[in-house]
Amino acid sequence: MRLPRFYAKKRGHRRTVSREWGVVGDGLFHGALLVAGMCFGGLLVSGVAAPEWRINHEFRETTGTILAKGLAKTTVADPPATVITNWRPCLLVRYSANGVMHESWSHSTTATNTSDREVALRRLSDWALGTEVVCWYDPASPTMVVLQRGYNWWLWLLSFLLPGALVLIGGTGLVRVIRAWGKSEEHRAASAGISELLDPLAQPALAAPGYPAVPICDDLVNSPGTVLRYRLPIESPESWTLVGFGLFALLWNAVVVVLAVGAGLDLLGGRIDWWLFALLVPFLGVGIGGITLFIRSLVFATAVGPTQLEISDHPLLPGGRYDVLLAQGGTGTFQTLTLSLELEEQATFRQGTDTRTEQLVVWRQQVACVHDVSAATDSRFEARAVVDVPNIAMHSFTSAHNAVRWRLVVRGTPERWPEFCRTFPVVVFPVGVDLPESTSRSLVVHRRTPSQEVTQ
Amino acid sequence: MTGMVSNPFSTRHTRPGSIAPLDATGRPVDLDVLLDRLHGFGGTAAIVGPHGSGKSTLLTHLAPRLERDGRRAPRIRLHSSADIPAAWSAIHRAAPGDTVCIDSWECTGRLVGGLLRILARVTGRHLLVTSHHRVGFPELVQCTTSPALLRAIVGGLPKHGVWLGKVIHAEDIDQAFANHGGNLRESLYELYDRFEAAASPIQCVGGDGSIDHAGPTSIHRKIHESADGFSYVGAPERNLG
Amino acid sequence: MTTATDRVPSKPKIEVQFDRPHRQHEPRDTLAVRYRIEGCDGERICAIEHSVLWYTEGKGEEDLGVHFFQRVTDRAMMPPATTAGAFSTPLPQSPLSYEGVIVKVRWCVRVRLFFDGSRDFVSEHVFNLGHIPPARMPSARA
Repeated sequence: MRLPRFYAKKRGHRRTVSREWGVVGDGLFHGALLVAGMCFGGLLVSGVAAPEWRINHEFRETTGTILAKGLAKTTVADPPATVITNWRPCLLVRYSANGVMHESWSHSTTATNTSDREVALRRLSDWALGTEVVCWYDPASPTMVVLQRGYNWWLWLLSFLLPGALVLIGGTGLVRVIRAWGKSEEHRAASAGISELLDPLAQPALAAPGYPAVPICDDLVNSPGTVLRYRLPIESPESWTLVGFGLFALLWNAVVVVLAVGAGLDLLGGRIDWWLFALLVPFLGVGIGGITLFIRSLVFATAVGPTQLEISDHPLLPGGRYDVLLAQGGTGTFQTLTLSLELEEQATFRQGTDTRTEQLVVWRQQVACVHDVSAATDSRFEARAVVDVPNIAMHSFTSAHNAVRWRLVVRGTPERWPEFCRTFPVVVFPVGVDLPESTSRSLVVHRRTPSQEVTQ
Repeated sequence: MTGMVSNPFSTRHTRPGSIAPLDATGRPVDLDVLLDRLHGFGGTAAIVGPHGSGKSTLLTHLAPRLERDGRRAPRIRLHSSADIPAAWSAIHRAAPGDTVCIDSWECTGRLVGGLLRILARVTGRHLLVTSHHRVGFPELVQCTTSPALLRAIVGGLPKHGVWLGKVIHAEDIDQAFANHGGNLRESLYELYDRFEAAASPIQCVGGDGSIDHAGPTSIHRKIHESADGFSYVGAPERNLG
Repeated sequence: MTTATDRVPSKPKIEVQFDRPHRQHEPRDTLAVRYRIEGCDGERICAIEHSVLWYTEGKGEEDLGVHFFQRVTDRAMMPPATTAGAFSTPLPQSPLSYEGVIVKVRWCVRVRLFFDGSRDFVSEHVFNLGHIPPARMPSARA
């Protein structure tokens, strides 16, 4: 086996131009991080976390008597030429362990250490000589006794978080180097397995088993319909927007209230802070705007009501025919309500700080259109329709940066309110696919127009 | 349209590294002159210019030339401040004398960027960065754009002899440039759309018709059938086309 | 006397033949490919990689999915011992080839030659999987 050349000679000049050695260096770097993380983690666990765990789980309880009090002094050179003195309160305790009387100075965790001697003395004053106290001793070494138990959670976090980060960075980097060593682009892509873990940003949506690049539709079929088989989930429901507006209005106006109270107190005290008032005005304006936006959205959501879509089967197949049930709640009248089947392409390109996502509807077919719909508060408007998927339609496709998506879109024009658009994603499988028996396709044919199927 | 090809404005053909670096007049940039200038600055400098002016393209072509001089030139692209650890790591891993090429330096911010610069200086690494505005580095080149530059870029795209002047015209190029204020990337995106619209006059999906008026027949565009190329040291991941 | 490092690099050419006319394949078909390598001029090839993959093209970042990958290191199966090769694989059910507007899905066969000195040459040949007709640009944007 021939080692990669460390240097190349060209026209008499020696140079270091070796991708292989660069990769070796990369591997060594990540390997060093991994080893450092493991060592650091091991030290922390053995020095801090493990002893604390033993105190809380393996030490035996007994009662003891405080015989004396004192301060343990430790000096640390940190950095060199600077000395830090730490004080730790200690108590001499007489206690019985396995039938044998012991007298020992108590041990404690590093949390009781302090560099302030007065603070350490004040802590000692919490304990009185001659009092009986509950204490715990180490059965393996009975001369070790503690008077307090519990966990310093931040120490545990430190024990796992910092070394864990080093191990994760070093480990994933090392695995990436090993997997990519000497491999072409196709070889690296073909070896994808845990690569998704190594590069989560590039991880595409989960693919349906047996159908690469076709998205799974488990989330779309886990909600049964009341009339038809499935109720389709809505994409980016407006309720989240409403919650977002509400939270923004709440938090922003909380800040406005704090500022206003401060300004008011100043005013009552005979002082006027012009800077505070100047800041309060625009903040108040934004706060009022936030409340207005939230209320408007709330009223809109109430007036328009929820839109629900049920379908007779899912996933869809090219050439398939499916019943859909459109249900619209709310109050008032809708001038139009349309249901369309659309095919949308989405492409994302990242360049520097720019992330550019473009979406384009390349195909649209109106499935149903209803005019002058009146909904009541105690009932909803319903319409049945039939969706025909084209015979040779492109199936749903998803990859890390690109997608081809099918969706059913409901557009409504309520009276006195702006038009709304609600999207229900569906998945179309490739043509020629044999779906499992449990997913039977509906072949019911409806010839009536949607307006004749209005039910209330 | 015989000999029709796939859209030459797709990102495969227009991303940084796929297009040769050109100056504002559309002439090839003399990379040796820039390298000499960079050495004159001590090896650390910035490529400055507005969005879509060719900074990343220039950086992508300079980096392999820096490696030819006997050093390594690791490249890293920042998308946000979350990528700062990656920038630190790249500087830390580089050897003294290497030039770390960082795209979108402004993501580091003033404070962290200053610290990274100190780290690089103290440890003997050089930095070649791109930025939309001055960031305190010596300015290697100020990237500017012009209609002539865009025409030169378009004239260098694959199989332009087939479609340039027939599908995409000079007026289309100038209009795209004007529509996007000189942003070459956005101009190329618009030309992509124009090419698609011109290359697919009347086609339909599935033959079932759509709400827009579909024609009776479909025209299959002929996709490019084969392409060959070397993958050389410093080449972009795919050097085909 | 010339040495390997002083030799002018060759310009290889790889001719690929598909077993289906017009390179049109259906899902679950078996794709069989034969190829011929020319123009290596005695340059030593240390490995050949065969791959069948799909990739995206358009306005977004390119994504890639490798369906079949094979690396050949047996000297008896590469120039100068032999200049021809073949491989086959059953094709999957998805994704199908798609000529969209801003997203296109293409299938291709790649044959990559690895020369001594870390140089490699790749030849890519596109084929069709499925019969999805091209998408159209919406009329408002034309």
